[in-house]
Amino acid sequence: MNNTAREDILGSIRSHLAASVPYDKQEVSRGFPRINADQNPSSSVEICGQFKESLEAVDGHCVIVQGDEGIARALTQIVRGQYIAISDNPEVERLLHLTDLEIEELGIAPNAHEIFRFDVGISTAQAAIAETGTLVLDSTRERHRLVSLVPPVHIAIVRASQIYRTLGEVLTLIRKDKEVSPAITFITGPSRTADIELTLAIGVHGPQELYVIVDEVN
Amino acid sequence: MNHLSSETFDENAKAALADTHLRGALKNATSLFGERRKAAAASLPNWEDLRSEARAIKDDVLSHLDRYLEEFAGNAESRGAKIHWARDAAEANSIICGLAAERKARIVVKSKSMTTEETHLNAALEAAGMQVVETDLGEYIIQLADEPPSHIIAPAIHKTRGQIGELFNAELGMPLTDDVARLTSTARATLRDRFAAADAGISGVNFAIAETGTIVIVENEGNIRLTTSLPRIHIAVMGIEKVLPRFADLDVFLKLLPRSGTGQRLTTYQSYITGTKRQSTDEGPEELHIVLLDNGRSRMLAHPVTRQSLACIRCGACLNACPVYQQVGGHAYGSVYPGPIGAVITPQLMGIEKSAQLPYASSLCGACREVCPVKIDIPRLLLHLRAEIAPRKGKLSERLAFKMWAQVMMRPSLYKMSSVVGRVMQRFVPLAKAWTNGRDLRPIESKSFHELWSDE
Repeated sequence: MNNTAREDILGSIRSHLAASVPYDKQEVSRGFPRINADQNPSSSVEICGQFKESLEAVDGHCVIVQGDEGIARALTQIVRGQYIAISDNPEVERLLHLTDLEIEELGIAPNAHEIFRFDVGISTAQAAIAETGTLVLDSTRERHRLVSLVPPVHIAIVRASQIYRTLGEVLTLIRKDKEVSPAITFITGPSRTADIELTLAIGVHGPQELYVIVDEVN
Repeated sequence: MNHLSSETFDENAKAALADTHLRGALKNATSLFGERRKAAAASLPNWEDLRSEARAIKDDVLSHLDRYLEEFAGNAESRGAKIHWARDAAEANSIICGLAAERKARIVVKSKSMTTEETHLNAALEAAGMQVVETDLGEYIIQLADEPPSHIIAPAIHKTRGQIGELFNAELGMPLTDDVARLTSTARATLRDRFAAADAGISGVNFAIAETGTIVIVENEGNIRLTTSLPRIHIAVMGIEKVLPRFADLDVFLKLLPRSGTGQRLTTYQSYITGTKRQSTDEGPEELHIVLLDNGRSRMLAHPVTRQSLACIRCGACLNACPVYQQVGGHAYGSVYPGPIGAVITPQLMGIEKSAQLPYASSLCGACREVCPVKIDIPRLLLHLRAEIAPRKGKLSERLAFKMWAQVMMRPSLYKMSSVVGRVMQRFVPLAKAWTNGRDLRPIESKSFHELWSDE
């Protein structure tokens, strides 16, 4: 424990702020405009449509379905490859068994050494944001940190009731928990870069493809 | 050649101006980023209010920085993170090298961090015998080329796809190509191998939330998520100015940062990391260390004008808007932070005598101030720094000339005589050669205004 460094830095902050006081008075004080969050409640259909539009604008895919059968059909169409990693949410495994996919290996929340061999990762999300097309993954509620990150394809299953309109609403929701979860991840579209001549390349480190299946009736 | 000094900005700039490829690349990049930023800002009805609110939050943080830092450190530690305080770059590097060495780390993966560029952490880790791998694609390219970044958010902006193809061919043995998709997938494959083998992950921090002890890191590629998820230890390095009071403040800053940087509504990923995992079977690292770096920052608190430098959120918008950066690029500044914000931060971090030319690398046009998402008055800061430099570097001849000018201006008879002398002198003596090389100097009129007035 280096208490000296801590005390030195805090001491330096305090003494320099104190030195600034005479000059501070000459500065015009700034207002603090509060921004009114416009909160118009939207219908479920509207919000699903907005989510889909936002997600597609950032090269993600969105399928809006109705009920378990719809989810299973969508999974059957999307999944290619037979090495499938899923999160530990039993819902995902249940839905996967409703499909007629041929599965060579099913990994449930594989660890950091195992995860690299899978073709696709499937999880749910704890919330989504319509205005940006964002998925919100909370590590205390599901083990999906790696299945959503390492395989080249990530498929997320979301219920319409989990989609919020704005970033602000979701930040408030996260803060409501007594303790913020150790790892929360926001995902908006597939991994991307423009580091070579500003040319867009999809899938540099994270998934190359992102599919979100939205169940409209739940 | 690749590592220029900020003491020689003028020469660096001249060399950059002669590089037509560089200027083409800069023009494309800065105008594209500039247009995207403009469109993204216009898509929000309350952009100006957001800027004012962000600045007010930063002003509050900086005026009570000791309190917010202690609050952040306390909350992060209560959640299992270990906080380290570093007075300067050397102390930060020795803490990080120590942590890595104690755990016998051999391979360290890093995500892009301007703060660790500032401390030259890679050199320190390599000297300690570790292999350091930059994983952001742009950073990886310039690490292979052994060059510093040339833009805060697009570090390899100065390189063509052809040059990168040659580099990958030479360094990675990849068949020669200039296909961006193939170059990118080769980098992906090579770096995945490093991620799988890494013993430690080092990242920067965009925002640190005092009330929850959370660090927030934003990115597009996914390399930050890999760096902070796969290795068993995560070390995050942040400047002490990165604190925000409340979680809700992110609503303001996450709207401003991506839009100002790349024109995105939101970057692809944001990682919110609060302490360590709750159960050993959970995913993610076992240890989280957060290094709080001062390195000259607390000094900037001593005056409201310099203090605002610490409000910067490293979006890069001022670089793209700056007519000087647009022409000379990042390397000419010879410092980790280029462009207008670099011209004000570098002299304050490194010492004004080592970068006395930087505050003059500006026409004071104010474009940087217009685009800054936290309303930093960069032109005013530049003038403030120039005022500190001027008394030290004024030449004797310059001071004498101004004394003479003052004497002449105070005496009408001398003033009248001076215009007569000027008219004659101008015919015989070449005046202001540097100026007249490229332009005409208008001849002094044969009659002065005074003479015309008395003639009427």
